[in-house]
Amino acid sequence: MSKTSNINRVDGFAKVTGAATYSAEYKTPGVVYGCLVGSTIAKGRIKSIDTKKAEWAPGVLAVITHLNVDKPSGYQKAKDKRNFGQPLQIFKDDSVLYYDQPIALVIADTFERMQYAASLIKADYFKEEHSTDLQKAADKEKKIDTEKGNDYHRGEHDGYKNAEVVFEAEYTIPTEVHNPMELANIIAKWDGNKPTLYTKSQGVEGTRRSVAGVFDVPVEDVSVFSEYLGGAFGMGLHTWPYEIAALMGAKKLNRPVKLVLHREQMFTNVGFRPFTIQKMGLGATKAGKLTGLTHEAVAMTSSYEDFMEGTVNMSRFIYDCANVSTRYRIVPLDTCTPIWMRGPGEATGSFALECAMDEMAYKLNLDPIEFRKLNYAEKDQEQNKPWSSKYLLECYEGGMERIGWKNRKNEPGSVKEGNWLVGYGMGTGTFGCYRSPTSVKAKFLQDGNLVLQCSVNDMGPGTATMMTAIGAEITRLPAENVIVEMGKSGLPKGPTQGGSATTSSVGSAVHDACNLLVSKVLELATQNPVFKGIAITDLTFANGLIAAKNNNSKSIALTSLLTANKLDGLEVENLSKAAEEAKKYSIYSFSVHFVKVLVNPNLGKIRLAHVVSCADIGTVINQKTSAGQMFGGAVGGIGMGLMEALEIDHRFGRPINNNFADYHVPVHADIEKQEVFFVNKKDPISNPMGTKGLGETALVGMAPAIANAVFNATGKRIRDLPITLDKIIETIKV
Amino acid sequence: MASKKNNPKEVTENDSNSRRDFIKKSGLFTALAFTPPSLVMASENKWDEKIAEYLETVPLSIEVNGKKHNLNIEPRTTLLDLLREQLQLTGTKKGCDHGQCGACTVHVNGTRILSCLTLASMQQNAQVTTIEGLSNGKKLHPMQEAFIKHDGFQCGYCTPGQIMSGIACIKEGHANSREEIREYMSGNICRCGAYHNIVDAITEVKEGGKEL
Amino acid sequence: MKNFQIIRALSSRTAVTNISKEKEAMFIAGGTNLVDLMKKNVVAPDKLIDINGLDLKKIEFLKGKVSIGALAKNSQVAEDATIKEKHPLLSLALAAGASQQIRHMATVGGNMLQKTRCSYYYNTDMPCNKRTPKSGCGAIGGSNRMHAVFGASDSCIAVHPSDMCIALAALDAQVLVEGPKGKRQIKFTDFHRLPGNTPEKDNNLEAKELITAIEIPDHNFTKNIHYLKVRDRTSYAFALVSVAAALDLKNNVIKDVRLAMGGVAHKPWRLTEAEEFLKGKTVSEEIFRQAGDLAMKGARTYGGNDFKITLGANTITEALIIAASK
Repeated sequence: MSKTSNINRVDGFAKVTGAATYSAEYKTPGVVYGCLVGSTIAKGRIKSIDTKKAEWAPGVLAVITHLNVDKPSGYQKAKDKRNFGQPLQIFKDDSVLYYDQPIALVIADTFERMQYAASLIKADYFKEEHSTDLQKAADKEKKIDTEKGNDYHRGEHDGYKNAEVVFEAEYTIPTEVHNPMELANIIAKWDGNKPTLYTKSQGVEGTRRSVAGVFDVPVEDVSVFSEYLGGAFGMGLHTWPYEIAALMGAKKLNRPVKLVLHREQMFTNVGFRPFTIQKMGLGATKAGKLTGLTHEAVAMTSSYEDFMEGTVNMSRFIYDCANVSTRYRIVPLDTCTPIWMRGPGEATGSFALECAMDEMAYKLNLDPIEFRKLNYAEKDQEQNKPWSSKYLLECYEGGMERIGWKNRKNEPGSVKEGNWLVGYGMGTGTFGCYRSPTSVKAKFLQDGNLVLQCSVNDMGPGTATMMTAIGAEITRLPAENVIVEMGKSGLPKGPTQGGSATTSSVGSAVHDACNLLVSKVLELATQNPVFKGIAITDLTFANGLIAAKNNNSKSIALTSLLTANKLDGLEVENLSKAAEEAKKYSIYSFSVHFVKVLVNPNLGKIRLAHVVSCADIGTVINQKTSAGQMFGGAVGGIGMGLMEALEIDHRFGRPINNNFADYHVPVHADIEKQEVFFVNKKDPISNPMGTKGLGETALVGMAPAIANAVFNATGKRIRDLPITLDKIIETIKV
Repeated sequence: MASKKNNPKEVTENDSNSRRDFIKKSGLFTALAFTPPSLVMASENKWDEKIAEYLETVPLSIEVNGKKHNLNIEPRTTLLDLLREQLQLTGTKKGCDHGQCGACTVHVNGTRILSCLTLASMQQNAQVTTIEGLSNGKKLHPMQEAFIKHDGFQCGYCTPGQIMSGIACIKEGHANSREEIREYMSGNICRCGAYHNIVDAITEVKEGGKEL
Repeated sequence: MKNFQIIRALSSRTAVTNISKEKEAMFIAGGTNLVDLMKKNVVAPDKLIDINGLDLKKIEFLKGKVSIGALAKNSQVAEDATIKEKHPLLSLALAAGASQQIRHMATVGGNMLQKTRCSYYYNTDMPCNKRTPKSGCGAIGGSNRMHAVFGASDSCIAVHPSDMCIALAALDAQVLVEGPKGKRQIKFTDFHRLPGNTPEKDNNLEAKELITAIEIPDHNFTKNIHYLKVRDRTSYAFALVSVAAALDLKNNVIKDVRLAMGGVAHKPWRLTEAEEFLKGKTVSEEIFRQAGDLAMKGARTYGGNDFKITLGANTITEALIIAASK
């Protein structure tokens, strides 16, 4: 990937000029404005709802509630109520299942009139007792009967208890909220019975299927445009009730309806990383060999949908250990359903595991990296398979050198810079490499440009840029001659963007389609008189020119070849899938975050003086966009480590910091010095390019790195995220 | 402007729930001394709303990216909503609508401000520059070029605000070190976490010394 | 947001006259807080009187004092060269508040009138005596990490959120106001009030009065000063605790000192007892630590903000150490 390895984002021009069109920005004639009004209780039934004032307010076109809604026919067909993937059925009845659950949709002719009218809706309720506190409800845990949620045991159950050195601790992470900068938004419209959505979705095809299901229409009749996403980080993995509501409104009025959630609603209605309580048990020999590891997690879900994630999974394979037990439980609470948030469960799990490893290393008087190396897993013991590739040790080495690990002392509080206590910490991350079947159409236009089409979308990592780089590489065209069309239905079907699988899935499909297209070009060329008697294997194709390998004078431009054959283009559409061979291997990306913190123990202030993020992600397709993604994942992890927490007032069952002033995410001033290091070695198995995925693992491991560094600086172990200054002050009595 | 508004608070529970009946009781139309038949006609033809629309707006002259607009707007319309929903200039983004994220940053009379907390009705004769006003066709502003070169964004949604803020940061004299840039750019949140690259871009433009 | 009328005031006199006639009218200047409150339906005026056209933007250095117009922007004051030289504490405090965009919009008068950041106040379906008298205080027994440790009441434990005001309280500023009954001056430390049984009143401004300027008398606190703001992230966040510390030192002896605290009370909290304690003493970390502990005596916490006692004392100490070392 040499020539194209550092290209600028192909959508950069659109993004820096304001020309990029996000969902609510499509110019739609006759569009009207919708807004959802939420419940003010966390559980109960709607006794009465007064919509009159809103209906009478100037400009109001419709107010939809459970009392007057035309229930979509798909509501009746829905089955098995608690399955994930079946979100809240909006306006289905009078029940209130969580605070700020939509109870009315107000539509008016202007934005301002809609907002005002929405403020006039008032409801009375039959209140019921709600449960929103996982720490109080954790004993009501629900046994999960799915393969994914089953208990896992290798060797002796809870074998850690019999070790020479035993360590046990409990860790919690609070609810965190994705909060992409772009609000969840949609323009919905109907053409007869055919719905069109301009919406914030991470999966065009998934949204089509969900909408088809709810409204009982053929999938092919559902059009979805999601060409630019202003971030999503997982919240776009569900089709949410607001999208269905907008479609209901558009149907009722037979007009396009634009609906943009308020930032406050982004905290209550479109998922979150669930509050999770984790118990770790580690057992080791005095020399530092892990002999037992138990990882238990209890996480929250909603009362109406079972959400699960891979919180405990990493503990099964990342270290060499004979006796491993993992248990995972979920507890239904009166909230909206959680949804995978960047890094997802692995980020949650790695916080507990990598802190516990650090704590055990200290107990054993070992350097934390030394301890990890002593327990390096040569193969995946969970699946009993070899790794396809694993350059975790290179990540450790690369990070140690860059962060200045040699300046670290194992004894906490022993390094100072002026009045600041200095601490170094690290945390390991990993994420599976997945590849979904993906169709891509590659097409040479008459002008010689290459068009690549796929319905996959791009929430920010640079999918179009990746497709361009791979397409240009295979067809040996300059990147500026590649045009990508994506993010909408009607194109060859791409996967949902998530799980770090986009490059592996779509990149491979681009790779395969372009190879087939080049063959097709060469085949056509062999039939041209210029190349008479020359075998296809003796032809080359580069920069739009087909030439004989051994005779430069024999060449023809692709454009001429197309003209000669009276073709206005040449195309290949191909479905790409993972090779069977891949099943013999365990394929994972690995990351290690290193941080150097400066702590002012009097004020509890933690500065991230230096952050180094290292990763083995196989081949790096584009250094520039990959580095950006890694920087960004690290920043996400810094938010998780130091500041992000949705605070709930459990008396009311509602969040109290559901805004960007009170729910803190990192700002410019929080990020001092950041570096990224990629091993950049091709994985021989994963896919034709040898990539392994980056988006998730870029975040996994950062939060424990910070907690471990804070311990190293202060001697205080904070096991409950986020590590806010009050926790430092409370634990360090000055 | 001097009219009494169509205030729903005047309605009591005993009133008819027909919206068209309501206008008969509305202070607005009483003030206009419509006779009852004309009221019914007004409501049937939705003139009530058209009249309300007229009476509840104020005139506004505003220049956006060098183009003069003479508009009638509701006093409550924010500059952000005016730009996005009425002038179709969607480059300026709504991230929070409460002055907590910086995505809506524009320049008004040469100063960076938050358009979500600015009532358009208070910007009579203001000169507004948005992200769309920076480039000239294919010719980008140096800050836009630097953002592309240094990959100062991922999803691109905070980008217009970051760029408008970055330009102002240099013009204000607050880009003399990476530390100072970070502090004076902290009003612009980037959830993708492109901060490192954004500071690179601003630093390069500052060091390039071009007139901005 | 409810629609409203907006009129542009031509003079402070007509602005005051105009507003006197209206029941639900409010002045609007920068709008950074008021527009937000209107969007949240916390306030819903029928009429706004836009005072931005008034001639109240000047910073004038007069004999023995500086007069800062109520409509001077926060950034304008923070970056004024003479303010930086003569009142560096004010400049530092202003620069610590909000973001540069907001500082470009927000005025000095508006900054003084900004409402608390208490979440219960901003959410109209939650109890809050400040917003809806007699509805109860959500923060007591609820989430109160940001809340007051001094001067709170059973009705309200909200804190005043400004940074600028902490410096002004320390610098013995005066507030100039104009109202239907004419002009008057209010001591800055008497401007904001404690909640008592009427937390809906943030300050002692009378109905329909307009702030026209603040005045700061000249002083010697130009070198050994510091504004230390402690918050949940490095910038663009409200203070958990902040301290404005100003020392007038001669041969390491404290001739005079001013100390005020933010994030701890319903008003900028002047630490007069600690000031008295420090006067005449020789600079030392120990003395500063004692001043910090003394200042936090009598603090009362509510669970979520227990840490503010230790943090408050430490912040005072740290601010004094930094100020003394300048």
